Amino acid sequence: MQQLKSGEVNLGTSIMAVQFNGGVVIGADSRTTTGSYIANRVTDKLTHIHDRIYCCRSGSAADTQAVADIVHYYCQMFSQQFGEPPSIKAAAELFQKLCYDNKDQLLAGIIVAGWDKDVGPSVYNIPVGGGLFRQPWAIGGSGSTYVYGYCDATYRENWGRDETVDFVKNTLSLAMSRDGSSGGVIRMCVITEGGVERMFIPGNELPKFWEGKEVLAGFDNLTKKAVVEPEPMAVE
Amino acid sequence: MANASFYQSAGFDFSNDVRNQFLQDKGLPLPKATSTGTTIVGCLFKDGIVLGADTRATEGDIVADKNCEKIHYITDNIRCCGAGTAADTEFTTALISSNMELHALSTGRKPRVVTAMTMLKQMLFRYQGHIGAALVLGGVDSTGAHLFTIHPHGSTDKLPYVTMGSGSLAAMAVFESEWRPNMEKNDALRLVTAAISAGIFNDLGSGSNVDACVITATHTEMLRNFVKPNERAVKERNYKFRRGTTAWKMENIRSLVVDETVTLIAPPVGGDAMDTT
Amino acid sequence: MTSIGTGYDLSASTYSPDGRIFQVEYANKAVENSGTAIGLRVKDGVVLAVEKLVHSKLLMPGSNRRIETIDKHIGMTTAGLLADGRHLADRARDEATGYRQTYRIPPPLKAVADRLGLYVQAYTLYSSVRPFGISTILAAVDKDGPELFVVEPSGVHYGYNGAAVGKGRQLAKTELEKLKFSELSTREAVFEAARIIYLVHDDAKDKEFELEISWIGAESSGLHEPVPADLFAEAERKAKEAIETFE
Repeated sequence: MQQLKSGEVNLGTSIMAVQFNGGVVIGADSRTTTGSYIANRVTDKLTHIHDRIYCCRSGSAADTQAVADIVHYYCQMFSQQFGEPPSIKAAAELFQKLCYDNKDQLLAGIIVAGWDKDVGPSVYNIPVGGGLFRQPWAIGGSGSTYVYGYCDATYRENWGRDETVDFVKNTLSLAMSRDGSSGGVIRMCVITEGGVERMFIPGNELPKFWEGKEVLAGFDNLTKKAVVEPEPMAVE
Repeated sequence: MANASFYQSAGFDFSNDVRNQFLQDKGLPLPKATSTGTTIVGCLFKDGIVLGADTRATEGDIVADKNCEKIHYITDNIRCCGAGTAADTEFTTALISSNMELHALSTGRKPRVVTAMTMLKQMLFRYQGHIGAALVLGGVDSTGAHLFTIHPHGSTDKLPYVTMGSGSLAAMAVFESEWRPNMEKNDALRLVTAAISAGIFNDLGSGSNVDACVITATHTEMLRNFVKPNERAVKERNYKFRRGTTAWKMENIRSLVVDETVTLIAPPVGGDAMDTT
Repeated sequence: MTSIGTGYDLSASTYSPDGRIFQVEYANKAVENSGTAIGLRVKDGVVLAVEKLVHSKLLMPGSNRRIETIDKHIGMTTAGLLADGRHLADRARDEATGYRQTYRIPPPLKAVADRLGLYVQAYTLYSSVRPFGISTILAAVDKDGPELFVVEPSGVHYGYNGAAVGKGRQLAKTELEKLKFSELSTREAVFEAARIIYLVHDDAKDKEFELEISWIGAESSGLHEPVPADLFAEAERKAKEAIETFE
């Protein structure tokens, strides 16, 4: 398997996709790095593949962009030839084939998610190496390791749209706060039969969790104002 | 090589890579390619794009060219700044420029910035980072003004203001504090100049003059040596020999133009010339 | 055909003055000489049935099958030149595996029929080749449910509820038109198919024939298979009975 080449642009990332009753919610942070420099602080890692199919990219920016461009092309060809959109599975299989066949030359961890008329919402995870797994939720990138426990403890089946959006938002915020290679803003998409709705959470409006007493002790010396202490997030 | 060349296909040849890697491991470093240890920038403004570049080219710690050009022509409405290996930026932009012209001719449409961006990223990705070109691509087309960065491995970013090269950190600091949406042309040009100047004065790899280029929907304005903050001071004294210091004995001026008389031979009259009607 | 002997029928790459391609029309004649093949698309599956004419008593029973499997869930049968049918089945398998390799999902029948149509049409363009002397019935249960297509020698293809090609197609079509496809189960369709094949068989012209039936439906787990031996025997018995009462 491939290490990042020197000077290569990295998506040291937190990405996520979650299925719910009527669709999927996908989300990602916005940080792109070259070594210790942030090459792009407002990156869009949620990449359009087809009308109702998106992917979240992690790993090498060049590799994942190239792979996503190829799958995007194949999916356009599919809908032109067969007069209907490709299934999420077909798109995920295309990703898997490219990632597995070229595993020696690629560093790409991709989550494919979307809605199709045959199976409804679905999420496919294609980790580095080129496996393919259908999951109700998937997280990826360097930030994901910090939040597996949170996801396991929090996720429930049969959530509605808004609960799922909150779950993605909270998970990514937690991942971004612990992972140095993740950060910036949160970008999210809700993909349903009706369409794709984009959402944007600026870096100063991320959900907050307990960050230490010293930092948030009742009174802010700079502004001379009382600081409202955030409620710690309840984890069932 | 003489007999092998006949069978060689077009493109780069990496057959010496393994040998070079071996020699490098043995402690023999590769010769350094001329690198544009550079500051290049671009930013969006109300009516289009402003691109900027310094003009220093280096070979290791030697300044190879004090006034080189780093803003390359792609099409009338698209330009590209190059950082990294000078030869690579020069030839990749020239190749893509050529292909864009052919593309425009075959489609009969005005070329688009995304087209150039896609061609560049696909070529750089194919060469897996061996072509050391780090680019800032900007232009205005039928879909509006677009600004991209393209890294040597083929990844791209689309942003309202971008910097690249060794001076990118200094230049980005200027953009991050000064850039605003919908700036006027002159404000944008001033900002780009400030960003490049930050690179020129704070980055060892960058220096000399500021080149700029303003692209709008109707016009492209190349501002070569827009600012010259490093002009050589006029010497206080002049060390040239006075005219007439050397004596001479003879002067001879010859014309090197060879005179020729051309005699036209008349075609045969009548005769049996071939009937070419 | 009044224009025979005018020279316009010598090549598939030549039109007649009134815009016909005689070589393609002759190919249709080749189809008309063949034993009948039918296909039924019913509410929960599809059935293929063939009247395989046996021209020699020395032939092994069950040999030279005319129904072929293209993919797990796709069946195909042809009427016309049998060798052409074998070739086209081979091509259909290539198309189906090609689709599978690209998209890693079972190919919808429409995709295969589309590509097969293009392939057959290419043989109507050149003087160096002869059009396929076959009509092809394709049947499958795919993601869109039961599907049935016919590809003709010209390369056109149509979707059908009931399809019949070969010698007895006229009578078979009349019988098919009486059926209510949306109400029939696959099992019931097997009996109808057997009955129609026995009905259209002309004892006076062709003495011996063998019945072939395959199906795709819930009872075959969505796979293209010959119908089970006991069901086949029962269908054949009932078909023979029906013929007695019909005449």
